[in-house]
Amino acid sequence: MKIKKKWVVAFLVPSTLLFLFVYALSLVVLLVTSFTQWNIGQEIKFIGIQNYVELFTSTVFKAAALNTVKWVLLQSSVHVLIGVMFALVVSRRAKSWHARFARTVFMIPNIISSAAWGMVFLCILNPKFGLLNSIVRLLSQEEYSQNWFMDPKTAFLSVTMIWLPFAATVALIVSAEMTAVDSTVYEAASIDGATYFQTSVYITLPLMKNAIATGTILSATSMLQKLDIILMTTNGGPGTTTINMPLLIYETSMRENNYSLASAQGIILIMMGLVSIGIINRIYRMNKED
Amino acid sequence: MKRKVLALFLVGAMVSSFVVGCGKSDGTDSGSQSESEKNEDIVTLKYATYRVGNHPSAAQEKACLDRFEELYGDEIKLEIEELPSDQAYADKMKVLAASGELPDVVDGKNGIKELAIDNGQAVDILPMLEDDQEWKADLSEDAIQANMSEDGKLYSLVALTQLSGYFYNTEMFADAGIEPAKTWEEFMDNCEKLDAKGHTPLALMTGENCWATNILLAAMIGTNGEAGNEFMNTKYPDTYQTPEVIDALERMKVLLEKYTTEDAIGALYANAANNFMQGEAAMFCNGLWMTPDFENPEKSMEGFSDKVGIAMFPENGLMTTYPEGWVVCADSPEKQDAAMKLLKVFTDAEGQQAAMEYTKDVPCGNNVEITDQFAAENPLFAQMMEDRKGTEYAFATFDVTAYPTVVDSFSKYYPDLVYGNITAEEMAKKLDEAAESSK
Repeated sequence: MKIKKKWVVAFLVPSTLLFLFVYALSLVVLLVTSFTQWNIGQEIKFIGIQNYVELFTSTVFKAAALNTVKWVLLQSSVHVLIGVMFALVVSRRAKSWHARFARTVFMIPNIISSAAWGMVFLCILNPKFGLLNSIVRLLSQEEYSQNWFMDPKTAFLSVTMIWLPFAATVALIVSAEMTAVDSTVYEAASIDGATYFQTSVYITLPLMKNAIATGTILSATSMLQKLDIILMTTNGGPGTTTINMPLLIYETSMRENNYSLASAQGIILIMMGLVSIGIINRIYRMNKED
Repeated sequence: MKRKVLALFLVGAMVSSFVVGCGKSDGTDSGSQSESEKNEDIVTLKYATYRVGNHPSAAQEKACLDRFEELYGDEIKLEIEELPSDQAYADKMKVLAASGELPDVVDGKNGIKELAIDNGQAVDILPMLEDDQEWKADLSEDAIQANMSEDGKLYSLVALTQLSGYFYNTEMFADAGIEPAKTWEEFMDNCEKLDAKGHTPLALMTGENCWATNILLAAMIGTNGEAGNEFMNTKYPDTYQTPEVIDALERMKVLLEKYTTEDAIGALYANAANNFMQGEAAMFCNGLWMTPDFENPEKSMEGFSDKVGIAMFPENGLMTTYPEGWVVCADSPEKQDAAMKLLKVFTDAEGQQAAMEYTKDVPCGNNVEITDQFAAENPLFAQMMEDRKGTEYAFATFDVTAYPTVVDSFSKYYPDLVYGNITAEEMAKKLDEAAESSK
């Protein structure tokens, strides 16, 4: 027993030390500096909650926080729904060639770099030679030009569509969980005369609860890290239409050189992440027996 | 048994490779004492650059660095960090500035010079420049004064003067029956005539730092009387809510709405330049450094260089700026001396000559001869030099006078201005807010 404990400790120590020095220490530094005034090249001085007061009176911060919340909500609802639906549809003919083809195609956005994915959409939605405008011109036989990323009316939707429909990660998690379900459960349902729809709604989905919750957490938190694609496509504009928290932090630190204000924004972002995970856990009642 | 033998073999291999690694190092030390002594005399100088790869100044910089190696290779070892994009360079330098670890020589663009001064790394190079009067004579007094700080210290040096008017497609101008405009009313009239003939008048862009668009905006402001000209020559102006800025923004709104390509809003520099060089727009605002691209078949359509003219802005306006240039951040006297040698290679008459020949940059001093042959081979350069004599309004760009946050705000609020979400007055207020966040 003693030997077993030693091994447990031996395996835990490296990861604990890594957490303490890489994450915990950074979090402490982030928290402490959020109460200071710290610009590059200037001395750090304590200013209490002034950074937080400044944040909550800033219209740009409000826009960034609101957009982030909108994207978290969309990603943890519509995106997850698309992923689950895809998994359910594909699982029906899991071994057929078209199911395998669909799975591969659905994975493409996840296997190429997000910079390349952003470039693909820049080309598709380009107002001059973009595929979308060309199709509209072809169908309508009229002069048509829409600047999807830069028109304030369409910018948010255009950016959202870069990631919202591509829910391969959720689909993979749910598909993997489906293969673990005992086939006798489905056989019993089939003998009782249950349709595919009834089996999916009353048997599959409840059994997938933890997998869907995991997918939801991954999808929601991915929106708290989204930076490169927004930077490439709209740079947060027009105005503040597509700015989010990571981009705001990047701008505050790298353009305004205001590290302490960026730290305060970072603390808010971490709190948003914790709240999101807490809410999702509560909704799905994860780790609780039904 | 087999596993034990394999484990023993692997341990043996690791130990032997370790011993061999150490052995090699020992051998070098004992075998070349004189080499070691020589190495102690060599100063290692760290230099970071973005002028690499496809950058227009890459060839010029390489020529200078080759010359540096030739002149000082025996005494100075140059460690070069290449960052292949302006933005990546600025971001990396800012992070290094935060920890006081800027390389020994850096380019001071995008506010890096100010950060180096703030963190105490930037060295006042004026005394060292004064010690080399021959070199100082290669630099114009204007170029030195442009980089002089209020406390009389000199933290950076440049090799060139940036001049920018606009390039125009002579065939399109002839087709529309127009000449380069003398007034802004005439300029707008020219746009209308080009448009009526089916030519897109301007290649503009509002992505990145809105370079081509903001040169034109700066021209409208900088040629708008004494007040406008003073505004465009003031570093970090108090406010953007001036009549000249608002007038120019209103005119820019019209140009972006009616007289440019459909991809201009959000377009990058490369998109706008491509629109001009492929004959899809009649005018493009940029400096002389663009002229080599007109003969590059990978960038321009065939025979394009024969169709390009160059003109000053209306009211005889010309963007004339001295960029921040190179900043010395070396800490020891030896390294500072080595850094000054590098700056000299970049900025003395020979360095300016390289800039002129490779990138068509205008030398900032008077000791570089512009030969008749060079003028004949570079007619756009020659004409700009001639036109320059008639400059009534010289002005800087926003990249030089404004905080990076303000430059960034242009790209965010031009779309809002064009799509009617904000007025010119409101955009000027947004620029003030952006400036405030950097103070």
